[in-house]
Amino acid sequence: MKQRDGMTLIVKTVTRISVWLILLYGIYIILHGHLSPGGGFAGGVIIALALLNVMLAYGRQFIDRWVNIGFLHDLESSSAALFLAMGILGMAVGGGFLANFISQGKLFSLLSAGTIPLLNIIISIKVSMGLFVVVWTLSVFHLDKGGKEE
Amino acid sequence: MTVYVLCFILLLVGLYGALTKRDLIKIILSLSIMGYAVNLMIILFAYRTDGSFAILVKEGSNPNMVDPLPQALILTSIVIELGITAMLVALAIRLFQQYKTFDITKIRRLSG
Repeated sequence: MKQRDGMTLIVKTVTRISVWLILLYGIYIILHGHLSPGGGFAGGVIIALALLNVMLAYGRQFIDRWVNIGFLHDLESSSAALFLAMGILGMAVGGGFLANFISQGKLFSLLSAGTIPLLNIIISIKVSMGLFVVVWTLSVFHLDKGGKEE
Repeated sequence: MTVYVLCFILLLVGLYGALTKRDLIKIILSLSIMGYAVNLMIILFAYRTDGSFAILVKEGSNPNMVDPLPQALILTSIVIELGITAMLVALAIRLFQQYKTFDITKIRRLSG
């Protein structure tokens, strides 16, 4: 990898350490979505910002080698279908659209609130992949009319 | 009452920016500020002094809680604003590709 891809060595080193902490914080926000403020959307935005942090520090070519953008797009589209499947499963098992059909657990414990944590995870996949693909798409706009790869 | 007036002033700041600035990016930022002012206003309507989070109210405790319905509504509004901002930025990038400028006074003639 050439030095001119992305930002300076200092930014790259700091990103290499901090991006995992940002991802961990996003996962914490998602998993505690039914207990504290936050949830699928907020945690998904934090995860998307971690990926954008990598993209800003290392350059878009590194992201293109590192992850498959088409796969991220498929993940984003299929999470909507997964949400619908959860809703229909609630209709089939629990008696109404998005009705709870698994154990509710103990109040204010991590594994509680039935299907809400699962729906939070699905929403976080949708939001994080959607936001990341939007910004990635904005960064490749200059390529479609015969523009050069910088 | 003061907070509502301040909120309205924030809306006017956004309106001023959207009407007087020439830079497309500044206009997009001004539209975002107007949206935030409206969001803040609706959240403030639902605020209750010394109320707690709806999610933190336990059974049999003090039921004085902030109304959670506008907060859920504003979460949806924030998502829509995100989409609008992304679309406006995409249009601004396309305009920059055509005219090589963000100044709206110089984007006059059709070129294509």
